[in-house]
Amino acid sequence: MGKIIAIHSYKGGTGKTLLSVNLAALYANRGKKVALLDLDFRAPSLHAIFKTHQSEYWLNDYLNGVCEISKVLVDLSQTHVRRGRLLVGLANPGTEAIREMTAKDRKWEMKALGKLLSLKTSILDEMGFDYIVFDTSPGLQYSSINAIVSADLVLVVSGMDISDIKGTQRMIDELYDLFEKKTGLIMNKVFAEALASKSQRAELAKELMNNANLPLMEMIPCFCDILRTGGTSVFATENPDHPFIKTLDKVATSIEKL
Amino acid sequence: MSFPRRTDAISATILQKIKDSLDRLNEKMEVMIEIQRHEQHVSQEDIPNVLDVMTLLALPDHLRKTAVTLCKLDHATADLVAGQTKRARAVESGYLNQLVLMGYVKKERRGRKAFFYVEREENQNELKEPWEK
Repeated sequence: MGKIIAIHSYKGGTGKTLLSVNLAALYANRGKKVALLDLDFRAPSLHAIFKTHQSEYWLNDYLNGVCEISKVLVDLSQTHVRRGRLLVGLANPGTEAIREMTAKDRKWEMKALGKLLSLKTSILDEMGFDYIVFDTSPGLQYSSINAIVSADLVLVVSGMDISDIKGTQRMIDELYDLFEKKTGLIMNKVFAEALASKSQRAELAKELMNNANLPLMEMIPCFCDILRTGGTSVFATENPDHPFIKTLDKVATSIEKL
Repeated sequence: MSFPRRTDAISATILQKIKDSLDRLNEKMEVMIEIQRHEQHVSQEDIPNVLDVMTLLALPDHLRKTAVTLCKLDHATADLVAGQTKRARAVESGYLNQLVLMGYVKKERRGRKAFFYVEREENQNELKEPWEK
């Protein structure tokens, strides 16, 4: 039975898209069939990362009831993964499309929730995918909450900033728990000094799990070489031995066991 | 010797009947309280009966679980919902009917079975996507 994983965060710039792309590629490189969907309609980014505009339809069209989900998915298996299948659903990056998506009413959002919920049947059951990864928009807005409600598991990404940690904590208590979501926290861009030794790592983990009561799954250090690539490569495929990918690999394994 | 046993059995039956009646009464009172609360809420804020995520967030915990499950199932009987939530069928039936009274869920009878669903379109024709027409 396939899984839907939503990657979310309280604030922007935490590394959601980087994690989404590489987690999806990691699963594909394990031989899985994966669909990665860009649900950040206010700031679409997957089209730029994968350098593709070749989709006949956008995810916007699927949610507007213009087409089926199969028309949206672009197969990037040949160019971006070593084995398995990676298909991507892109959000329309045009200014008019972004404006239109921000002006939707509650009735449309209700219909959009139904369409996201039905992906479990269409993509996982009928098309035989193993995973759907939702790259969501940050904070509490319709598109991200719709994605969270539709997902089996939410990976919430936070930086070390106190406002980010407090906001994440509140979001877990007041949103994820209300929907009884399985949640895993990924602390991203952690200062290397905080993870320098085993005892320092254990101390930080203890602080986050016991004192802040957060469901910590993994802590990922800040990697300057990844930042330097400017999001132009899929690390999980091009540099699978990189420590970032090795850490993400542990996350992927934990999710598989859930 | 058998007389006290029979009395015990009769007492147990009466007690069970009282308990069942109280359960039913409790269920009905919950529905009434929920309707009253909902009517006040609607009159104060004039919110349309749209079962979107914000409405789901505002629902009490017991109703949210039922509503989310119905959203996932799309179209379901109380039995099916109960199978997912692991709560009793009678409890889910009560909650689904509360949601119907609140205007968030529609109910339709097919023979002896009652189906519940979230109406996402203005009319039946629009239920079909363009490629299905």
